[in-house]
Amino acid sequence: MRPLPALALLSACVVTALVASHPLSLAALAAVLLVLVLRASWRRARLYLIGIAVSSLGLFLIWPLTAHRGSHPLWNGPIVPVLGSIDVTYEELSAGAMQALRLAIVALAFAVWALRLDHDRLVREVRLARRSVLTVALATRLIPTLERDAAGFVEALRGRGVPVQGLRGRSRLLAPLVASSLERGLTLAESMEARGYGRRGRPPRSHVRFSWRERLSLAFSLLLTISSLLWL
Amino acid sequence: MAVARIENLSFSYPEAATAALREVSLELERGEVVLVLGRSGSGKSTLLRALSGLVPHFHGGRFSGSVSVAGRDTRETPPAALAGCVATLFQDPEDQIIFDSVANEVAFGPENLGASAEQAHGRAREALAAVGAEHLLGRATRELSGGELQRVCLASALALEPELLVLDEPTSQLDPGGAEAFLALIERLARERGATVVLSEQRPTLPLAICERVLFLRDGRLVLDAPREQALEWLEVEEPGFLQAPGPVREHTGGAGEVVCSLHSLTYAYRPGEPVLEDASLEIRRGEIVGLAGPNGCGKTTLAKLACGLLDLQEGRVELHGRAGYLSQDPGRYVVCERAEDEVALGIDGDLPAARRWLGELGLAGRERRHPRDLSSGERERLGLAAVLAIEPDLLVLDEPTRGVDPERKRELAELLRAHVPERATLLVTHDTGFAAAVCDRVLTLPGAREFSGV
Repeated sequence: MRPLPALALLSACVVTALVASHPLSLAALAAVLLVLVLRASWRRARLYLIGIAVSSLGLFLIWPLTAHRGSHPLWNGPIVPVLGSIDVTYEELSAGAMQALRLAIVALAFAVWALRLDHDRLVREVRLARRSVLTVALATRLIPTLERDAAGFVEALRGRGVPVQGLRGRSRLLAPLVASSLERGLTLAESMEARGYGRRGRPPRSHVRFSWRERLSLAFSLLLTISSLLWL
Repeated sequence: MAVARIENLSFSYPEAATAALREVSLELERGEVVLVLGRSGSGKSTLLRALSGLVPHFHGGRFSGSVSVAGRDTRETPPAALAGCVATLFQDPEDQIIFDSVANEVAFGPENLGASAEQAHGRAREALAAVGAEHLLGRATRELSGGELQRVCLASALALEPELLVLDEPTSQLDPGGAEAFLALIERLARERGATVVLSEQRPTLPLAICERVLFLRDGRLVLDAPREQALEWLEVEEPGFLQAPGPVREHTGGAGEVVCSLHSLTYAYRPGEPVLEDASLEIRRGEIVGLAGPNGCGKTTLAKLACGLLDLQEGRVELHGRAGYLSQDPGRYVVCERAEDEVALGIDGDLPAARRWLGELGLAGRERRHPRDLSSGERERLGLAAVLAIEPDLLVLDEPTRGVDPERKRELAELLRAHVPERATLLVTHDTGFAAAVCDRVLTLPGAREFSGV
């Protein structure tokens, strides 16, 4: 799918996640996005899914502890300075689940964007702010490059008999990874400039029409946004 | 008619104490193939970047003299505007890739020059066909091997339809057969398209056979600008290391020591059903250096990693008696500490005196407290080697240690390896046949499909 219909569809999902209030609608949306993410390679999708699961679960757990509402207490906790009374009510739990679901949908939509979209096409087709779009696309592609570099660092260290284990061992790699990606970035920028990037004038627009599937996606995005505002 | 003209060019990088180029003057004629030689840090890459306008526009620094390409002064014309006249291929293809698809990658340049998407893709197809890589058109760049990426990068440069093609060590990652095919391709393109080609190389034997003219840089000065035959005579007298393999440093010990590492019937596949290594067996004894050669993609590095335990075994058995040390390709990139001595001490429980001793042994005395990334590329390579040698491995595995290394440094490395031969077993993965012949007691060649076969 071309970037514009895909962007419209994912934006509609995000809008729905933020405004819809029926848990079943949100759950259905999350399930559809999850299926799309799982259709990407498991090795790449795994990272996103772990991040989404941890952040959503974290939000679900923290929400009842920080919110103060509801009349059906499930657990009465101590009074903590600043936070006040740490009670958990049924209403807080369901609100926490809703917020966690919303966060998961937004993150899943981003994961679909990062994993499934043809970023090359995005860069080529977007007319507005082409430089910014290219920057975003390159940043999205940074993750696999960082993965490869991290593997290189781990291998180089293991080759010297230095084990890379645990959070402390891996955190040692953060600064060198950043330095390495900056070095790569400079070479890439040099190569792009040598290939005419940044030349005055913009490439002519390519006249490719949307397919029926892309038109359907655009129409569905509109429908989903309106439905979420009115009924969901 | 001159395609490029350099007059009295001197250039210093920002904050550099010495000049990278000093009063260089030359002219490049249409259709000639020119080879640029010189030791590491002699200014070869800087000269190439001056021709593409990246020096001074991209790097900054102090620039005097003038460079004109296709009649355009590079000080007044930014590199992007020169892109239609000059195209540059950098050393490491992986660092130049922008897009996921090969077609988009090659079409990027023409699109920047104002071609429509349809025209740009037409030019991309033509360029890929010219380098014998039309079959890669629909492939994803992340799936390509090093040799295939090199071809795609060359096609990206050719798609710009340049008058001047600048290649910075383009064969450093290719096996000898692949390098020969690549250079034959360059020669054919120069002849058919009438483009001027300027290339730098650290393994000059093959390019010396196709070039018409040789430039030699020493400390930023152009000390030789001569036709090939004349240059060969000059090199024989002034820089014989560029014509010969490292000196006679080999002393056959016969590998009489005990077996340090035995590999039995190893088979390994990164993807199911596509083994890169099949039923490979090898025995390495203390006191010998074993060379491992073969075309790109034949499984040399895989075998080396299996020997060190860096990859989990799939089929077969490895018996390692003692400790293994592995020096990866491009070790200068994988430095993790903020001081050179800490980098070396990392593998030896922080033993700084020992780390300093190893740094001294590898010619890095005085650099102990420098940040590894502030060292030159050659120094970083040696730092990587010091870090591996410091752990005093029983099995030392070196993966392409001479890539991008000048003949003088190769000779030093050869001497170092031979000096420590009795202490350990050494496995050397290399495409550098001259270096292997100079230091190895025996060389094994793995069979396998070549990535960059003749085109």
